[in-house]
Amino acid sequence: MNPARSWLSRFGGFFNKSTHDRELADEIEAHFQLHMDDNLRAGMSAAEARRQALLKFGGVESAKEAYRDRAGLPFLETLFHDVRFAFRMLRKNPAFTAVAILTLAFGVGASTAVFSLVNAVLLKPLPYPHSEQIVFPWRQSPQGLNLGYNEIPWGRTEFLTLAQESKAFESLGAFQSDSFNLTGSGDPVRLDGLRASAGFFPSLGVSPLLGRTFTADEDQPGHAHSVVLGYQLWRDRFGADSTILGRALELNGEGYTIIGVMPPGFDFPRAAEMPGGFTFAREAQLWIPLALSHAPRIPAEDDLLAIVGRLKPGVSIAQGQAEMDLFTHRFEAQGPGAKGWFNQRVTPLNRQIAGDTRHPLLLILCAVGVVLLIACSNVASLLLTRSLGRKREFTLRAALGANNHRLIRQLLTESLLLATFSGFLGILLAGAIVHFIKIVGPSNIPRLGETNLDLRVLFFALAVSFFAGILFGLAPAIAGGRKNLSESLKESGQRSGESRANAGLRNALLVSEVALAFVLVIAAGLLTQSFFHLLRVDPGFAPERVLTFELSLPATKYPDQPHTTALYQNALQKLRSMPGIESAGIIETLPMGGATESTGIRIPGHIPADKNETPYANYTIASPGYFSTVGTPLLRGRDFLDSDTADSLPVTIINSAMAKKFWPGSDPIGKQVGPGSPLYPAATIIGIVANTKRLSLREEPAPEMFVLYNQKVWPSLLTMDVVLRTKADPASASTAARHAIHSVDPDLPLAKIAALETLVDDSVTQQRFAMLVLGAFGALALLLASIGMYGVISYSTMQRTQEIGIRMALGAQRRTILAMVLNHGGRLAGLGIAIGIVAAIAMARLMSSFLYGVQPADPATFAAVALLLCVVALLACYVPARRAMRVDPMVALRYE
Amino acid sequence: MPSAKNDVWQGTLALMILKTLEALGPLHGYGIARRIEQTSGNRLAVNYGTIYPALLKLDQEGYIASEWGQSDNNRRAKFYKLTRAGHKQLRKEAQDWEQTTAILARFLTPDSGT
Repeated sequence: MNPARSWLSRFGGFFNKSTHDRELADEIEAHFQLHMDDNLRAGMSAAEARRQALLKFGGVESAKEAYRDRAGLPFLETLFHDVRFAFRMLRKNPAFTAVAILTLAFGVGASTAVFSLVNAVLLKPLPYPHSEQIVFPWRQSPQGLNLGYNEIPWGRTEFLTLAQESKAFESLGAFQSDSFNLTGSGDPVRLDGLRASAGFFPSLGVSPLLGRTFTADEDQPGHAHSVVLGYQLWRDRFGADSTILGRALELNGEGYTIIGVMPPGFDFPRAAEMPGGFTFAREAQLWIPLALSHAPRIPAEDDLLAIVGRLKPGVSIAQGQAEMDLFTHRFEAQGPGAKGWFNQRVTPLNRQIAGDTRHPLLLILCAVGVVLLIACSNVASLLLTRSLGRKREFTLRAALGANNHRLIRQLLTESLLLATFSGFLGILLAGAIVHFIKIVGPSNIPRLGETNLDLRVLFFALAVSFFAGILFGLAPAIAGGRKNLSESLKESGQRSGESRANAGLRNALLVSEVALAFVLVIAAGLLTQSFFHLLRVDPGFAPERVLTFELSLPATKYPDQPHTTALYQNALQKLRSMPGIESAGIIETLPMGGATESTGIRIPGHIPADKNETPYANYTIASPGYFSTVGTPLLRGRDFLDSDTADSLPVTIINSAMAKKFWPGSDPIGKQVGPGSPLYPAATIIGIVANTKRLSLREEPAPEMFVLYNQKVWPSLLTMDVVLRTKADPASASTAARHAIHSVDPDLPLAKIAALETLVDDSVTQQRFAMLVLGAFGALALLLASIGMYGVISYSTMQRTQEIGIRMALGAQRRTILAMVLNHGGRLAGLGIAIGIVAAIAMARLMSSFLYGVQPADPATFAAVALLLCVVALLACYVPARRAMRVDPMVALRYE
Repeated sequence: MPSAKNDVWQGTLALMILKTLEALGPLHGYGIARRIEQTSGNRLAVNYGTIYPALLKLDQEGYIASEWGQSDNNRRAKFYKLTRAGHKQLRKEAQDWEQTTAILARFLTPDSGT
């Protein structure tokens, strides 16, 4: 009726054994007395009375044992006993213990560290309530248009229609990045901010720490003068002043009122979490209302809106997508030539935030799993070797009455104890690895900095160690438990070889270890090659000694193009006259600095191959001196000159991809091309430059046209990048540059000062990270596999010492013995490599998206890795083989 | 004669102990074993030793309580008595047992059930 009570009582009995034993003894004694009294009364002799009582009682010891089992918890007792025994066994053999624990700790530590990354980046709940309802309906670029990214911005008309008429969304918010010069309080500073519509905060569902967020009224043109601060900005710039609400702030020369402060950690959107085509800052520092005008869009002023929405409760992503598809049809029906331009894909928040890192991290997770497997099979093979050495012990225990079940339990306890030690050591190791990765890891993996060893990670580590313990403990336990008692007793007199089944198991472990290591080393090799291919890619510019920074002009002070042009002209002049600066130029978007504008273009006289296809090109504003400063080679024609002015002939320079696409086989120089809008004049092509990489080194070049900043250009010059080629170290020129700019406008902050080289470097950090991690795992796998191979071969050679002695006594040459041992190891390694090749081909196909400039089944890599593994295998076999070769036949024959 | 290792025997032994204690009041292990043997008309010849683990189990489950005392012929012995929970359990188990035997009887009687 009451199992809990019963268990409790037994648990008490477990600690109270001696009292129980004594009481039982007393009770049994009383029992005999009572029985004998009865027997005596029945007329038996004293001796007969005692004999009959004993007879009737049955086995006293077996009754006591049954009683004891019932009184305490025999399971727990056995466990304690086994653990104590296991401790003694591990202490007795410190070398074995150290190797096993270290091997496994490496496996557990590495996989725990990787899991904690996955946990932080992919699994941790996002700091938004009901985040599963938050989605991003990204507009997709039309098929066949190669921009290097798929997501393109929405226009205001579409957003306003969606916001008004959508039924699937509880709220929809549009947002657009912007930067602000904070002036009027101390040094001018550039802040990265966001213009967001009233639906933005409700969609994310985050409440401010202080004050409030925008109302719908504030999100109207002319009323947008409120600002919400990010926590970090509030703390660093305003000293976490809690009375800050209502204070005035001057941003881009306009007055704003602080209405709220967001909680720590809220810095949405982060560039790393948003699509590549949008130019968001690393993180947002403040938010102001978007205040979209309901007036029809003026073609000259393009919107660059991203949209975030919160689905109504119970509305699924698919339903949201279905509703959006209806809008797509409507938008397409509204305008001619709009077909294909309003496709969109509804992306859930967690997917958006994990972004591109999803795949590399999972790749690394798989790799670490392989390392763990190798570590397990290594330890399994170690344990197997040891259990063979303990054959006598087990035979003796079996002979004394231990059953198979009990022996297997003993062995499993030992391996679990090993696993527990390794688990704790592995957790420490994981902590160190995570610390290290936080220091050296790429900053563009989102949320990497939030990685830590939380409860979930610790649980993972313990679960991994536990399962590893079972996994590698099972092999020797089964092998040990299978033993036939009488056979073992017969065997133990002489030193015989290990049983065929055990040898098979060890060989199988070794073969799989070699195969796994092969796969991992191939993966590391392919990634390394891809990485070096990427580094060798010609980016189309020479980033050495180039300093860059961004200027962002406030629209109030620079309301039109003549003002902006004048500023840039003066600034360029000043910069060029500075000592230490070779040349200077300005550009709308830096190479490797993100996406640039792109636009439909018109080419008078050009007939496209496909009638429905609008010609399309990237469109970038540049200045004279830009190409020579960044080192982009001019292939034909001439560069922009200072003599090209607003009044002279409109000119443009195109890249070779554009020349090849639109003027194949003919000379584009002198031809006309212009943006799609007829408001802007077509320009004459005066030169062709080499293709430059815009988003990543992997991208295929897209057609691009450069226009001159002081001619009539679209859309705006307010944010431009300045490039300087310096005579010495670019960092040293930054002071000079600041003086030059401030001599033109003292209120203008220089933002994002960086060497162009670091921008290129940043673009390959993820690739480098994946390569380094996989390379480290590959090396670890190789090391573990060679240790495993050494162990197996040297053990089996030792087992054959007697046989080798006999062979040598019969006249075998040392070389024959050497060949025999090497042959044994070589066969196993060869089999492992063969299996590894098949597995690696399958694996490489899966990771082809990570590769660049190398085939998944690259024969050179495969051959090199196979050779490497062969060499490692031979080395691992050579040492035991040499030892076998030196065997003295007399010693070997006596060897026991 | 059922063997002592039989599962049915293990289950029924507990029931017999409870019934014996109900009928005779507080009693020591030897007395209980003796009584069970007599009640069965000496058809149950079991080792007396097996009764002690069974008594311990009932004690742990709270159906009986034990205490040292004096026997009729002034021997010190451990006496067991039924608890309130034990009374309840006895009624329940007796009922279960009757049901089980009734059902089994229907199966085993040759001409019933057709």
